[in-house]
Amino acid sequence: MTTTNDHTVDRDLIATVISLFAAKSGHDVVIKAEEEGLLPSLWASVSELGLPLVGIDDTAGGSGGTLLDLLAILHAAGQHAVPLPLSETHLAAWLLSEAGQQVSDGPMTVVPGTPKDTLALTDGVVSGRAYDVPWARGVDRIVALVNDSSGAPYVVTIDPGACEITPGTDLAGQPRDVIEVKDLAVEAVSSPVDRDGLLLRGALVTAAKMAGALETIATLTRGYTEERVQFGRPISKFQAVQQHVVTLFQMATMASLNVSRAGRTAMDGPASFEICALKQVVDKNASIAIRAAHQAHGAFGMTQEYRLQQLTRRLNAWRSEFGDELQLASRIGKAISNAGKLEHVIVGGSAVLEV
Amino acid sequence: MQLEATELTEAEMALQMEVREYLQQRLPAGTYEVGLGMAANNDVEFSKDLGAKGWLGMALPKEYGGGGRTAVERLIVVEELLAVGAPIGFHWVGDRQSGPSIAKHGTEEQKQAFLPGIASGELGFAIGMSEPDSGSDLASLRSRAEKIDGGWRINGTKIWTSGAYQATTILGLFRTSEHKHEGLTQFIIDRNVEGLTISPIPFIDGTRHFCELSFEDVFIPDERRLGEVGGGWAQNTGELVLERGGVDRWMSLMPILEWWAASDAVKNSPGAQADLGAIAARSWAFRGMNLAVARMVDDGKSPVTEAALIKEMATRFEQESLDTVARHYGRAPDLNSDDPHESLLARAILVSPSWSIRGGTNEILRTVIAKGLGK
Repeated sequence: MTTTNDHTVDRDLIATVISLFAAKSGHDVVIKAEEEGLLPSLWASVSELGLPLVGIDDTAGGSGGTLLDLLAILHAAGQHAVPLPLSETHLAAWLLSEAGQQVSDGPMTVVPGTPKDTLALTDGVVSGRAYDVPWARGVDRIVALVNDSSGAPYVVTIDPGACEITPGTDLAGQPRDVIEVKDLAVEAVSSPVDRDGLLLRGALVTAAKMAGALETIATLTRGYTEERVQFGRPISKFQAVQQHVVTLFQMATMASLNVSRAGRTAMDGPASFEICALKQVVDKNASIAIRAAHQAHGAFGMTQEYRLQQLTRRLNAWRSEFGDELQLASRIGKAISNAGKLEHVIVGGSAVLEV
Repeated sequence: MQLEATELTEAEMALQMEVREYLQQRLPAGTYEVGLGMAANNDVEFSKDLGAKGWLGMALPKEYGGGGRTAVERLIVVEELLAVGAPIGFHWVGDRQSGPSIAKHGTEEQKQAFLPGIASGELGFAIGMSEPDSGSDLASLRSRAEKIDGGWRINGTKIWTSGAYQATTILGLFRTSEHKHEGLTQFIIDRNVEGLTISPIPFIDGTRHFCELSFEDVFIPDERRLGEVGGGWAQNTGELVLERGGVDRWMSLMPILEWWAASDAVKNSPGAQADLGAIAARSWAFRGMNLAVARMVDDGKSPVTEAALIKEMATRFEQESLDTVARHYGRAPDLNSDDPHESLLARAILVSPSWSIRGGTNEILRTVIAKGLGK
């Protein structure tokens, strides 16, 4: 596979991926990962197929394939709540390859960059803290964008063994840690991608996972309502329950289609409007869908022993990653308010207005 | 339920630019009354001008005066018309659904008789579906067409028919037997036929586009029956895809949103900007869904469930967007204001509850979607 701009998806690969995830990332596996962190055998089974590096050019050490292939894999990972740092590894590998670096196998993570972060680069030495770093415990390498004193972005790779890691978890029980380094000598490479570029790429891949999770909670809820009998008939026969199921399919269909749309635009050029719009919409859809799914499931869906919560907790965690509803809406609205021509932007996207 | 992502080709984008530039010349700001989607004013001259540009009946076959173009190309034209609140009332229904339905189900003679007029903007259609006792429940229609020598005798009442007063032609659905669904048949009816009385029902905003149609022993020759006897239900379902799957289901409000987006009220308010951004994001998402549905239609599919799924949430979104604008307006807008934006906003507030009714109420659509999802 090589990276191209053609808008096709490797359907055989995606079919393989979906059955692999279905087989390997069941309910019990997700529980186990929540207790133990990154599961090496699970990582090995996806790594064998080269999945973590799809979407990274093979000349840079990646597995090749298109951005759309990557988004389809992450969509499938979201569908099955795969407890691995797949999108994080992609973002790390993407930063490295964009900066002309070679990537290699093994789980990686990326420092998303919060306003509290203090990581700074001076003469090839990094010091400071970074917050909300997913999977810092358990990965082989942590990749960060760090500005030098002039504000120019550099890509640095940090060995987790050289950090002080304060463990934390996100709402889905996945590792999300604070890392601290002191006077760590690193190789710093000038990065063509700045913080905003990372935010947009992060928003796109996160939305793909969320769309997958939305698809699953829709089908899971439909299945449940068809089986669950109350008042003498399946609850799917009650119009009030049907409405929740319809809402779930609306939210999921809208999310999945638009992940593909934004992905296609991103392959062809600037896509800041599409990506911000996508993540904003998917965040909103997630909050609507989470409520609908739990409501239709009743108390049953609120328990840890049932699959639903593994997906709704992930949706809740991802909603606030790489831009949340309000930040993204404000960014889009401010740009349109300054530039005008709302309808031209809606139908023309970033080609008309980058946000 | 899956929609396939699609984009505009270069030729399609060129069409978009052509329409946009034409409308800037043909409808300079301030020279026409900006309308709300299909409820916009009737302007027969404007409709004819669009017909002359080849932008009506676009998807109709060329041999009948149509453009032989695609549903996507039509969507592109419609977006630009809706964005400026163009006076599309006269040709709207014929262009959107009656034309395609006649092209699909009509006889050779019917195609020759009606399609050229739809494509040129000379014929304006209205749809006679609902009745006082049948809103979304078309299976309960009672107005009857009775077979007589050489044709049909129609009796009964149709109600809530948009645009019938100004229309030249009515496409009506009538009961021809007692079968719930297979007992319905469509007829193409001249607006001036003897025995048909059309009375405007003043609408909530004071306009008179909304009508009641009373049929008293109206004779319709059999040549004006559209499709098979008993085929009306299925034909109507196909039309409803066209009525539900389009951008017009959430873009009526676009002229108001456009004006609001450019206003100082938004420039000076971070809260309003965030609301604007959320509206823009969701509009982009809906637009992608409509585009995907249009491509499905061009591929020969009939995306009934998809169209209902979009319309149900898009009409709610449009209502919520209006609430947002009204909330930021700061005072109650006046329907009779000299400021056209203010009166349009006031009108939209009054009529917006209709957006989630026409074309099937949301409650019924949810049942349609739920059934479709089970397939």
